Amino acid sequence: MSLADVQITLVPNALIAHVTGEVDMSNAEDVGATVIRATPNEAQGVVLDLSGVDYLDSAGIYVIYGMRASLQARGQALILVIPPVSPVYDSLRLAGAERPGEVAEEVGDALAIFDSAPPPGT
Amino acid sequence: MADTRAETQRPRNLGSGQVVLLPAEPIAEPTEDRPSSYRFTDPGLSELPIDALLEELLNRIQEALEVDTVAILLHDTESKQLVARAAKGLEEEVERGVRIPLGRGFAGRIAAERVPIFIADVDHADVLNPILREKRIASLLGVPLIVEGELIGVLHVGSLQAREFGQADLAVLQMAAARAGPAIEHARLSAALQHEHDVSMLLQRSLLPKRLADMVGVKVATRYLPAREEVGGDWYDVFELPRGQVGVVIGDVVGHGISAAALMGRLRTALHSYAIEGHGPGRTLELVDRFVQSLSESAMATAAYAVFDTYTSALHYATAGHLPPVVISGGEARVLEVTPAPPLGAFPYGRCPEHELSLESGEILLLYTDGLVERRGVPLSTGIEALAKAVRDATTPEDACASAIADLVPVVGLNDDVAIVSLQSAIVPNELHLTLPAEPRTLSHVRRVLRRWLNERGADDGDIAEMTIAVSEACANAIEHAYAPSPATFELHGWANNGDITVTVRDDGHWRPPRGHNRGRGLSIIVAAMDDVQIDRTAEGTEVVMRRHITGK
Repeated sequence: MSLADVQITLVPNALIAHVTGEVDMSNAEDVGATVIRATPNEAQGVVLDLSGVDYLDSAGIYVIYGMRASLQARGQALILVIPPVSPVYDSLRLAGAERPGEVAEEVGDALAIFDSAPPPGT
Repeated sequence: MADTRAETQRPRNLGSGQVVLLPAEPIAEPTEDRPSSYRFTDPGLSELPIDALLEELLNRIQEALEVDTVAILLHDTESKQLVARAAKGLEEEVERGVRIPLGRGFAGRIAAERVPIFIADVDHADVLNPILREKRIASLLGVPLIVEGELIGVLHVGSLQAREFGQADLAVLQMAAARAGPAIEHARLSAALQHEHDVSMLLQRSLLPKRLADMVGVKVATRYLPAREEVGGDWYDVFELPRGQVGVVIGDVVGHGISAAALMGRLRTALHSYAIEGHGPGRTLELVDRFVQSLSESAMATAAYAVFDTYTSALHYATAGHLPPVVISGGEARVLEVTPAPPLGAFPYGRCPEHELSLESGEILLLYTDGLVERRGVPLSTGIEALAKAVRDATTPEDACASAIADLVPVVGLNDDVAIVSLQSAIVPNELHLTLPAEPRTLSHVRRVLRRWLNERGADDGDIAEMTIAVSEACANAIEHAYAPSPATFELHGWANNGDITVTVRDDGHWRPPRGHNRGRGLSIIVAAMDDVQIDRTAEGTEVVMRRHITGK
């Protein structure tokens, strides 16, 4: 059984990546690369839904920072979905990195951020 | 047509380009001048396998009729052709796989019209098979092979010298045909059955899990015994699910042979797919039931499916028309209560109630198929009681399977196939002593072991989550240090003392200072999650000692 799964959904302004399972040093880079590869240039950014993640370690946190950097280089934003009571929140709290970027509690809130932003090129 | 008697007495040559249809008269008993006819009723022939039998028959025909060639062509009902199967003096026929369409040429007409045919002069007759001409055969006599009204082929003999085959020759040939026909049919049928048996066995074997993965928190043993006669549709599977859960299923497809084996493969895949979607046992069986309902062919199957949570020891289970699971614990075996649910595919919208129990450390769950407990004339409950009695002293899953088979399976003649899956909630030691390969994929394994061990030590969910992160980070450090040329390992020890949990992770690599954002963060996680952390770096390696007081559940 694979440790984690990534499900990609494209919406008009953004890419939503639902990650489930466990993310650690064995698969964190693959998970990050999968999302970045799938992100179209037209998208304003990526909603990284971590609400279904059961475990995230420091390698996973490192990859999230890396994802944010590479998206920023393309003028795209990264919004994380992290419920306040969740394994991912626990990991971030222990690491002293509660907000490794813009955080929403639900996917809908994250998408609203993109919808309120002007479309690219205007 | 002056003398009808003459016509029935002997086959005639009607001259160039013509064949004679011999009347299908009852054949006279062989006369004493042809004593060789006994050769075809020799009971010893029936002991021979098909190829040897045909070879022997051809030899005896050749000898009895003093002919140069003998050939048997079999009827292929699919293509409506005769296919050369065995030959004497005409071996090329078989080697070249000669095929003759029904109704055409010499053999084709014998087959289509089901009458003996005699050709006195092959050169001027309607003979399709070029080999007969190449061989310069002058005269031919052939008879149909008919078994229970079905045409199965043609038997013919040939002579290089022009020859008038007489009624006595025909009688001998027909006697040989009467002998060869059923023997060929029997051999073909049993070869087909053997083939089907072999194929279903192969399918069955290929569909059962080959080697069960080493799973954390459980020990598993399985058995599959095929029935003597027919392969049935018994199957089982054991697989890992997210969050430390293990799925174990057993099932029985109604029916036998290839179709049952094929359906069982589909059920196994369907169930596994629904299970990894996160459905519990009851709902998973309901979805498999809907799957069976949706198949175009009518199908029915029974199944028992259980999900064991290796972190919490909770066991959820459900059955669909299947025999109740047995749990073995401390010298006792009890049959689990199940709310009866219909078999898969039996009724639309069948419901599968789910049950729950705690499968404590060391306890064994046993799933089995009816072939293990069902005996003619004995109530099923008696069989299940006998099973419970047989396995009650088992202390390992292997034991349980072996005892069940030793006590319940007859030494000879298993009428139905038998499948058994046995799963034990692994005994969790008080202290952890693990030597682990220094590879990233070890981490998830460590976390599974640790969560279960911490749960057994009485840690609550918060304790378990935070300590698991800390220990996993310490192990990740050890793995990063271990860029040695040789296969590296690291050690993990854990023990509890007065509500304090201590875990040490020791590697023999050289400590490297935290590099970049990432590794520094790993260390801060360890420090934040544990009450006390010590890092000892020596020339031999690095040891991280972590301690945390647990509040308990």
